[in-house]
Amino acid sequence: MEFEFYSASDTKRPIRLCDSTRKFSYESLNHKYGKDTRKNPAVSLDLDNIKNIDSFSDLEKYNAGILVIAKNAPLRVCPNELICGAATLGNAINHMLPVEYHGKPLFESYSGISHLTPNYTEILKIGYRGLREKIKLSLGKNISQKQKLFLQSCLHCVDCFEIWHKRYLNKLQNMPGYENQYKNLCVVPEYPATCFYEAVQSLWFTFAFMRLTGNWPGIGRIDVILGEYLKNDLEKGLLTISQAREILAHFFIKGCEWICGGDYGSGDAQHYQNIVLSGIDSEGNDVTNEVTFLVLDIVEELGISDFPITVRINKNTDKKLLRRIAQVIRHGGGVIAVYNEDIVIKALTDFGYPLSEARNFANDGCWEVQIPGKTNFSYIPFDSLAILQKNTLNNYLIDTDIKSFKELYGKYIHNLSEELDLIYKKFVEPLFISGDNSEWKEMFPCTIVSLFEHDCIERGLSYREGGPVYNIISPHIGGISDVANSLYAIKKLVFDEKKLSFKDFMKVLYDNWEGNEPLRQYVLSSYNYYGNDNDEVDYIAADILSDFSDICSKYNSITPIKFPSGVSTFGRQIEWAPNRIATPSGRKKGEILSGNFSPTPGTDKEGATAIIKSYCKADLSKQVTGAALDIGLLPYNVRGEDGLDAIISLISGFVTLGGYFMQIDISDPKILHDAQLHPENYPTLSVRVSGWNARFVTLNREWQNMIIEKSAGKL
Amino acid sequence: MLISVTNIQRFCMHDGPGIRTTVFLKGCPLRCQWCHNPETQEIKQQIFYAQNKCIYCRACEECPQGAHKFENDCHFFLRKNCILCGKCVSACPSKALEFVSKEMSVEEILEIVKKDTAFYGEKGGMTLSGGEPMMQPEKAILLLKAAKKAGISTAVETCGHFSEIYLNDLCSFTDYFLWDIKDTDLERHKKFTGTDNHKILNNLFAADKIASSIILRCILINSINTNKEHYTKLANIYKSLKSCRGIELIPYHVYGSSKYMLLYGKENAKKEWIPENSHIQYAKNFLTDMGCNVL
Ligand code: SF4
Ligand code: SF4
Repeated sequence: MEFEFYSASDTKRPIRLCDSTRKFSYESLNHKYGKDTRKNPAVSLDLDNIKNIDSFSDLEKYNAGILVIAKNAPLRVCPNELICGAATLGNAINHMLPVEYHGKPLFESYSGISHLTPNYTEILKIGYRGLREKIKLSLGKNISQKQKLFLQSCLHCVDCFEIWHKRYLNKLQNMPGYENQYKNLCVVPEYPATCFYEAVQSLWFTFAFMRLTGNWPGIGRIDVILGEYLKNDLEKGLLTISQAREILAHFFIKGCEWICGGDYGSGDAQHYQNIVLSGIDSEGNDVTNEVTFLVLDIVEELGISDFPITVRINKNTDKKLLRRIAQVIRHGGGVIAVYNEDIVIKALTDFGYPLSEARNFANDGCWEVQIPGKTNFSYIPFDSLAILQKNTLNNYLIDTDIKSFKELYGKYIHNLSEELDLIYKKFVEPLFISGDNSEWKEMFPCTIVSLFEHDCIERGLSYREGGPVYNIISPHIGGISDVANSLYAIKKLVFDEKKLSFKDFMKVLYDNWEGNEPLRQYVLSSYNYYGNDNDEVDYIAADILSDFSDICSKYNSITPIKFPSGVSTFGRQIEWAPNRIATPSGRKKGEILSGNFSPTPGTDKEGATAIIKSYCKADLSKQVTGAALDIGLLPYNVRGEDGLDAIISLISGFVTLGGYFMQIDISDPKILHDAQLHPENYPTLSVRVSGWNARFVTLNREWQNMIIEKSAGKL
Repeated sequence: MLISVTNIQRFCMHDGPGIRTTVFLKGCPLRCQWCHNPETQEIKQQIFYAQNKCIYCRACEECPQGAHKFENDCHFFLRKNCILCGKCVSACPSKALEFVSKEMSVEEILEIVKKDTAFYGEKGGMTLSGGEPMMQPEKAILLLKAAKKAGISTAVETCGHFSEIYLNDLCSFTDYFLWDIKDTDLERHKKFTGTDNHKILNNLFAADKIASSIILRCILINSINTNKEHYTKLANIYKSLKSCRGIELIPYHVYGSSKYMLLYGKENAKKEWIPENSHIQYAKNFLTDMGCNVL
């Protein structure tokens, strides 16, 4: 039987996997299991006959909720699946604890945990029995009542994990055709994994349980986690590489069990299931192994884009790996992005992380860098263009004259710094008991993910209350390209060319360019904006970023929370658009402008190399949690051997020039238009949205149009 | 010494190996009816007028020759009156009026080419195209020489029609040739390009003795050169060359026709010239069967 997986390239996707695996993938991508998951949104506490819930503390409610999930969540074993366990409750897809009480969600305002990459290595190495020992050890220490309650909740959650696990064992015990799966689950995740197959099962089962309880964890360095197991098995002849590929493929396919089609705004696949490949280990050795290549094989063949993959590249990355990446990228879907790990590691160590920790970086699900298994991460996005328009230029109702570019720039940085102070006061300070910058306030319980984050168990503190080794809140600047373009246009028009006075220009902008079309056309067509390798504007962007990061660094030593800077929009340019007014760079009120640290759509005239150069002029090692660049190419650009060379050269140039993170998407605006008209013909066409991918047809119109505009810009 | 350049395009991927920056020089000895870059045919300066960018602001009306006329909200550009003084071009706010070419020094061109050094790797570099780069032979050779000196790989896309006295110099500073063969039939060549193909083929055979790498670029124009005789002759040429790496087939397309609009205010697209996909495949197979490496 033939199962087609969409490709943007005229080079066909290779076929290495067996028919039943391909079928499983096809069905999962076409919503079979996602729809099934949606059928059961939640389990009810009423099943456990719990009555006096009002007298429960949040932690007690949470504990009861996890138990009812473990006991009652539907079990699902798919035909021919090689690994078992499934996150089968629909509200988990919505990031909620999927538990109800008297027909209402148990917690009205509870959201699960995302933006984290847990420590899977530990569960693979010690099993949940080992975890239990660890918890008991901590309980035996001299601890507070709060710590004791938390650690008891930890024990309870491990018990729940076991209950859910044993239910699968019971179900599989007598199912013909699932003997291997049963055998594996007799070992993991209770005991340490002894081989590759068990390790994949253990990893999946743990991941699925976290998801089942409403969390969206990432995966992280899968080749580091699984590499040793595969190496051993291959050496001992226990497994062939194609058997290993089938097993691992099922991990990726099962990761699609939440895809349910339909219109979901920003797409159907935004669950932060990151995968990080290759790079160096904490000692500086290259970790690239067979698993690295198996992952590439699998996504190349099946086009699964639900695990956003980022490959860590450095100056010495093997040509063979680069070529494989280029081959996969060429099929489109933006499945693979790259880090320049030299810069990332420098950013982390400059910020103060120990080198060995920095070398082990992964991310939070999209691409914001963190130390996996040890970090409580969140980010605060803000619109830097709004600061320019509202604060610096007072919505263009300017009564004071600004005399020079220097004055303008200084005023802007001052306003930026005020905004960051507000952000800090609003998002960081309230996490601590007032008057004390080290005592964390009580937060919603999140014991399940705390089990897999160092040092929650050791410290007896939950993930949200200071348990992890690193606690990060990263302000993320958005709209930076448009701020640079705006400042540049004012500089050229008012201060350099003196075409009109500052005040007159503000009047033009206040009127949303009404009646000034020639001037607007002049501003649009005469200046080379950010993204065209024009030093004059690129260094405005670079300077702002550098100043931004310096401002943030002032907040690092106030509380245990660190405040590193980063750059992103993640598609927020859509929601910001209605609040934005005319820009000095010729845009009118309400237009959708730049995303991440990419050029504003329509302004990049010089092509991908110029965009990369503009981007790399900023000292990106100051953006600790990352700065993303999106590059869109047409299938035509990357056809044939020349096309592969081109992708490799782009990546190599990006590394040489000091880039941080780059996502390359290959898509054809004509095809995307057609997919809008005939969604039924493109069920598996996926696109890079921002830090994640999605089936194009599941995006709503606004998002679809943004993607089309982005890809049309390159024509 | 200045070179007439119509465009310098960065991030080109199909103008020779690797990522390349292609420099389009103005002027061509041929007048192919299917030309995709009509703005590069004339060596003399011209003006593009893009009606879709025009906002009818009438700033160009100040033309001392009265070449810009406005009637009933329509803008007429009377090119025959124009003396290329450039007044309207500088006055136009939206770049609806633009000079086709710019006079640039070797240094200025190289400065732009060098911007992408980080992306050239082992294979990428500069490609000269046009027009026919060898319409400005000494200048083109100087540019190539300067690029080589700066460590940048060089490619030249040529129609092959130039004076053989430059051949030695050209070959010594060119790493890759993309050699256009429009048609192998002498009469048709004359009819559709304005010149016969003697010089082109003679230059090709002479270049083959000293050049390191040649790719033949062959345009496929339905009902004109899409026949067996042409392909057979092509294959024979291919086989007689020692440094030819392959044949690239370029199906005629109509994308270049918008530039006719910009230059002459009329379309030049001929849809009937577009070859069928099945024929392109046929041509590929035919040439491959004849022992050619089709890229
Ligand atoms: S270039 Fe000079 S002469 Fe020609 S149309 Fe423009 S203003 Fe008139
Ligand atoms: S100056 Fe330019 S935009 Fe204005 S009418 Fe003339 S061509 Fe059109």
